Amino acid sequence: MIGSGIPTTACTGLCGPLFVEFPYGYEGILNIIYVSLYVSLTAVALSTVFSITVAVLVGFNDFPGRGFVIALINTGMGLPSVVVGLVVLFAVSNQGPLGQAGFHLVFTREAMIMSQFVLATPVITGISLAAVTGVDDGIRDAAHAMGGRRLDVALVTIREARYGILTGVLAGLGRAISEVGSVLIVGGNIEGQTRTLTTAIQLEARQGRFELALVLGVVLVALVLLINGLLLKLGDRQIR
Amino acid sequence: MKGGVTNQAVTVADGLALSGVYHGFDDTDVLTDVSLAVGREEVLAIIGPSGTGKTTLLGLLSLFDDPDEGTVEFGGEDVWSLSERERLNVRRQIGMVFQEPHLFDGSVRRNVRYPLDIRRPWADRIRNWLPRFGHRSANPVVTEQLELVGLDDAASRHVSSLSGGEAQRVAFARALSYDPEFLLLDEPTSDLDPRNTAVIEDAIETARSRGVGVVIATHDMHQAERVADRTAVMLDGSIIEHGPTQQVFDDPTDRRARKFIDGELIY
Repeated sequence: MIGSGIPTTACTGLCGPLFVEFPYGYEGILNIIYVSLYVSLTAVALSTVFSITVAVLVGFNDFPGRGFVIALINTGMGLPSVVVGLVVLFAVSNQGPLGQAGFHLVFTREAMIMSQFVLATPVITGISLAAVTGVDDGIRDAAHAMGGRRLDVALVTIREARYGILTGVLAGLGRAISEVGSVLIVGGNIEGQTRTLTTAIQLEARQGRFELALVLGVVLVALVLLINGLLLKLGDRQIR
Repeated sequence: MKGGVTNQAVTVADGLALSGVYHGFDDTDVLTDVSLAVGREEVLAIIGPSGTGKTTLLGLLSLFDDPDEGTVEFGGEDVWSLSERERLNVRRQIGMVFQEPHLFDGSVRRNVRYPLDIRRPWADRIRNWLPRFGHRSANPVVTEQLELVGLDDAASRHVSSLSGGEAQRVAFARALSYDPEFLLLDEPTSDLDPRNTAVIEDAIETARSRGVGVVIATHDMHQAERVADRTAVMLDGSIIEHGPTQQVFDDPTDRRARKFIDGELIY
């Protein structure tokens, strides 16, 4: 049986709200949650801005290679995270372009943000593209006919497609925050600096501390639920 | 001139006009040598069978497309020779109502206010997006336009709660909210019951009395007789008859126009 004979950290006394003793203390777990949220939310926020812009540009413009770009986006949805991690690690290493340009990003949160950005972007872009191209042409025509500029028409379209775009953002966030392969490679799972919930779960599970790993898993799921709920609430606001 | 009738009205100085226009899609000609103009404070009806080019003609008048040949003129100037900014100013003096209402998701108020919002400086618009500073109170312009179409008590309703006729009336109020000089109507009442049709026709009359020049494309000849000062008959992408409405209906000069008006030309 996996883990038999390995001491666990099950709480026998008053151990705090999570009923488990953490080897790195509650400050440590708070730091892990902070790093997870900081990295994933930053990556998804940047990716959302980028993805919506790309979705609108690709959705409403005809240009040579448009089909290829769409195929690329769809292919990107299935990118293996370990491969993304490897590519980002190379890019930020001393041999890579960013390393040679003088940036010191190996085993940093910024490198983790880069890898999560790469993973989340095709998901958010692909779903947003489907959402904006699904908006009735008549809506865009109406905005244009009333004197709207290109930006006004784009904003109306984004607003009409907001539920679909929100679905894309949630899917991208799910991809980013639950990701372990690439953040492990580019972040290095350094305690207090680049350790996230997923890399901590992986570490604790490997060390046989299943209760701890499970509690961290519950925290992760609760965070995802909370963020999804908040975003859905935001998207569901009645438009005046 | 090839085909079509020579159109004296194309010289309307402060009007919106097409002059010698040819236009098509995918190597198919839709409009052939069309010349037509509407002045302020008049209603011009364009009648003709479905698929004859009425919507394409309105698309050119509303500056959605530039014509393959010929000119679109506003106040005597070729609109497509203007800069983009100048053309935007022209577009903002033309309103349009489509066959479908095409309302934005949100309240009736938001829809009628939208054209006013996009004319405001960006700083104002961004401030308006912030809930704390948002304008939730009644806007007198919005109220006035909704009164015009008999929906002054509907400002807070979500568009999904409107009937088809009410939605089209909101679309009409929205197109008039920014006080355009010209209003283009593409089969605006084709899906409406007689009551809603009457409301829209009254609103057309009110718009005309305010100085708006109205172009209405319709396949309802009775509607053209009711609302239009002048009527143009379109067939196969050309204007085949054009003149004062009563003259066109009572004594058309073109044989095909006579057949169409008499209901013998069925498409």
